[in-house]
Amino acid sequence: MTLTQDLREALGDENVLEEPVELHLFSKDASLMRGEPSVVVFPANANETAAVVRIAERHRVPIVARGAGTGLAAGASPTQGGIVVVTTRIKDIEIDVENRTAWVGAGVINLDLSVAAKPHGLYFAPDPSSQSACTIGGNVANNSGGPHCLSEGSTTSHVLGMEAVLTGGEVVVLGGAAPDPIGLDLKGALVGSEGTLGIVTRALVRLLPIEPDVRTLLMDFATVEDAARTVSDVIAAGVVPAALELMDQEMVRAVDNWLGAGLPIDAAAVLLAEVVGETEGVVAQSELISDIGRQNHATGVQVAADDDERALLWLGRKSAFGAIAQLAPDYYLHDAVVPRTRLVEVMTGIYGIAEKYGLTMCNVFHAGDGNLHPLIAFDSSDPEMNRLVHEAGDEIVALCLKAGGALSGEHGIGIEKRDLMRASFSELDLDAQARLKEVFDPAGVFNPTKVLPEGSRCFDFGGVRRELPDGVWV
Amino acid sequence: MAWVTDHHPTRSELDACVQCGLCLPACPTFRLTGRETASPRGRIQAMDAVAKGLVPVDDTFAGLLDFCLGCRACEPVCPGMVPYGRMLEGARAEIEEQVQGRSRLSGLLAGTALRSRLLRKLSGWSLAAAQRLKLTSLSPRRFRRLVAGARDLRQRGPSIVGYSSGEATKVALLAGCIQDEWFRPVNRATVQLLERAGYGVEAPNDQTCCGALAAHSGLTAQAEQMSSQNLDAFAQFDTVVATAAGCSAHLREAGWEGTEVLDVTVAIARAVSEGRLPELPPNGKEIAVQDPCHLRHAQRVVDEPRQILVAAGYTVVEIDTVGMCCGAAGLYTINQPEASAQLGEAKAQQVREARTRLVASANPGCEMQLRSYLDSDYEIRHPVEWYAEAIGSGR
Ligand SMILES: Cc1cc2nc3c(=O)[nH]c(=O)nc-3n(C[C@H](O)[C@H](O)[C@H](O)COP(=O)(O)OP(=O)(O)OC[C@H]3O[C@@H](n4cnc5c(N)ncnc54)[C@H](O)[C@@H]3O)c2cc1C
Ligand code: SF4
Ligand code: SF4
Repeated sequence: MTLTQDLREALGDENVLEEPVELHLFSKDASLMRGEPSVVVFPANANETAAVVRIAERHRVPIVARGAGTGLAAGASPTQGGIVVVTTRIKDIEIDVENRTAWVGAGVINLDLSVAAKPHGLYFAPDPSSQSACTIGGNVANNSGGPHCLSEGSTTSHVLGMEAVLTGGEVVVLGGAAPDPIGLDLKGALVGSEGTLGIVTRALVRLLPIEPDVRTLLMDFATVEDAARTVSDVIAAGVVPAALELMDQEMVRAVDNWLGAGLPIDAAAVLLAEVVGETEGVVAQSELISDIGRQNHATGVQVAADDDERALLWLGRKSAFGAIAQLAPDYYLHDAVVPRTRLVEVMTGIYGIAEKYGLTMCNVFHAGDGNLHPLIAFDSSDPEMNRLVHEAGDEIVALCLKAGGALSGEHGIGIEKRDLMRASFSELDLDAQARLKEVFDPAGVFNPTKVLPEGSRCFDFGGVRRELPDGVWV
Repeated sequence: MAWVTDHHPTRSELDACVQCGLCLPACPTFRLTGRETASPRGRIQAMDAVAKGLVPVDDTFAGLLDFCLGCRACEPVCPGMVPYGRMLEGARAEIEEQVQGRSRLSGLLAGTALRSRLLRKLSGWSLAAAQRLKLTSLSPRRFRRLVAGARDLRQRGPSIVGYSSGEATKVALLAGCIQDEWFRPVNRATVQLLERAGYGVEAPNDQTCCGALAAHSGLTAQAEQMSSQNLDAFAQFDTVVATAAGCSAHLREAGWEGTEVLDVTVAIARAVSEGRLPELPPNGKEIAVQDPCHLRHAQRVVDEPRQILVAAGYTVVEIDTVGMCCGAAGLYTINQPEASAQLGEAKAQQVREARTRLVASANPGCEMQLRSYLDSDYEIRHPVEWYAEAIGSGR
């Protein structure tokens, strides 16, 4: 039988798509890189997913997991063709209120989990800016972070266990609710593996109690440097806010043009800070942060008056990447972490590079972690522009690394950042990772060519290839 | 041969989408299916693929767009401000032009029947007669939902078309096609409220259907004809009020110069806030409010219906913080009965959970959809009717 006949038999005709226009819609995620799937399937559970894995291995075709396709690194783009396995039908949520945990289907939308947990006074802490759309499976696979991961840690700190489908279609449960399950932490290997080791069908996650009180501050500054210095000073003062985000003027203008929330569009930069906890501490911390802001010449400090205002501010922050659409059809975005003490000089340097190349640059990022997302808005259909953008990108990365920074994996490595893995890992590290991949995926079907650069296995040194595809993510 | 008409989605409209995916969760058809092929981003990608000559405008492409409700919930959530509703109409115009053998019954309705006063009258009379004779269960299956959701037309009273307050008239009223036949009490309540607020009202005789349903079905030429007839009828007025959210949304987008088009909820809420109409003390009763998509998403009108209900003395009960479509969506009930039923039932369930039997909805299609899924003891009316009744101007 052909590949699609096998899949149709396993999942039913209605859960297998193969019309060209349908395939086209699953050919990329939110990055710029497209692949060409042979077929798209929608399994309902682990058993159906296992059947798909067995079929893929029998036909020796790649299998690419996809949640909501909001990934920014082409992780879910089927660049080698094959089967795209969409998890959106796996969407059951079982909350264990007493133990503050939940078994969650891979296709459940991140925010839907927190909405379901809210009546029990609980929430799921990792909150990527895409949280209204992205799936738990995608969060686990990319070990995603978010504004509030500053104090709570990224997805990996909140995953206790998982149900996954491995090679041969074996369905396993890794980890568990026990504080320290026996044996190797195999669950830890799958978190952040971007679909290259297996497919996660359900995750056992930790839920946190909703904080008793919260204050959200919006501070505006006449220079980006003042805002950046405020970030360094807040951290140096020993305060760990729940979130500390920076947006520059270009970004604030685009967001407010859509949102109409009256954000300070004349400021060179704004900082969004949030503190949570018991009222007393919250008040003290928010006053301390405002004082530090004022010492750094903040031109305005506002506190969100109520939940609606707070929600509006966060909506503005979390919609920033989408708002770039107002500036240009495409954006090229970097994801690097720099020491917070060097934020000021790095920011100055980044703007200098954009100016040198005459590019439209905006910045919106998790300032508290020093996790930068400098964005260049451009039109990828112009080849000369592509070249400039990539050159500028290389300079920005070099600048971050020189300042003692690292490439962050927050948004995943996928293909877009794959070839920069060599900047962060030694040959030995890469070889070890490639060996792990071989153990989990002897047939080589799980999301091939993603994450690990070609030649990661020491003995198959293929020479260091450095090919930057369109809109490469560095 | 990608596009063949002047209406197609333009390159700059298509480029406005950066494929971030933030619109996915707002889309009812994505929520129902979990599929990119039923999402705003996917539909835009499909249009883009046509524009690039990668896929043809054929039955498969048409199928992707047929399944779209046109509810435009994807618009307010899109930070890129992608004009999805406009692109959808353009793409549907292409489908009408390029895909053969699609002379659908609903197209006939939207393009021709709603424009003909005679045919509309016939629909009103025959439904009223059927209700009188208790024969509504004999209506054709695809229309049974519509018929079940219709108001009792036996005492619907006279049309307001041709009405004039006499004095120096300031505000013109678009009576609407279905609205004028099947929802006359809404129009009459509107006239009474506007007059009580001190405005002269006129419902010009030579007006016609606003053309929204034709435009949504891709029947651009017919829609344009209706629009130009209405422009002739209304151009002399500074203000035109439409009493169905679908009509006001469509007319506002026509962008008539020098003439402001307002949904009736906006006009009345404004009159209340200006002190031209009274605010009653709380009456202790709760009312559930349902947001029509073409009010909430297409016009971003959310507060006004609530202000009117509060002025009428009611306590408003929210049923849905995101305003998910009820599945009525113009002719969707007829064209996509299954998806329409799932959304209709979900919306009805939200109303049931509000634990009140009083419901306000500012659009005829939504009202009928709600009525057809709810028990007969629910009272569903337009916010201005609830208000007019409360201040003693109604009925
Ligand atoms: C506007 C916007 C804002 C964003 N903000 C943030 C942010 O603040 N922080 C952040 O970390 N990221 C952010 N991202 C990136 C992205 O949203 C996250 O990486 C998210 O976790 C991806 O989830 P998804 O469901 O869309 O996954 P997809 O894009 O569908 O897939 C992502 C990767 O995970 C794999 N995968 C998906 N599901 C499974 C599964 N069940 N089992 C195994 N592998 C799987 C895929 O193969 C792919 O490699 C943002 C993206 C956008 C568009
Ligand atoms: S939210 Fe807007 S820009 Fe983002 S995918 Fe949807 S339509 Fe495109
Ligand atoms: S109009 Fe409604 S159904 Fe159509 S894509 Fe937008 S949200 Fe989805």
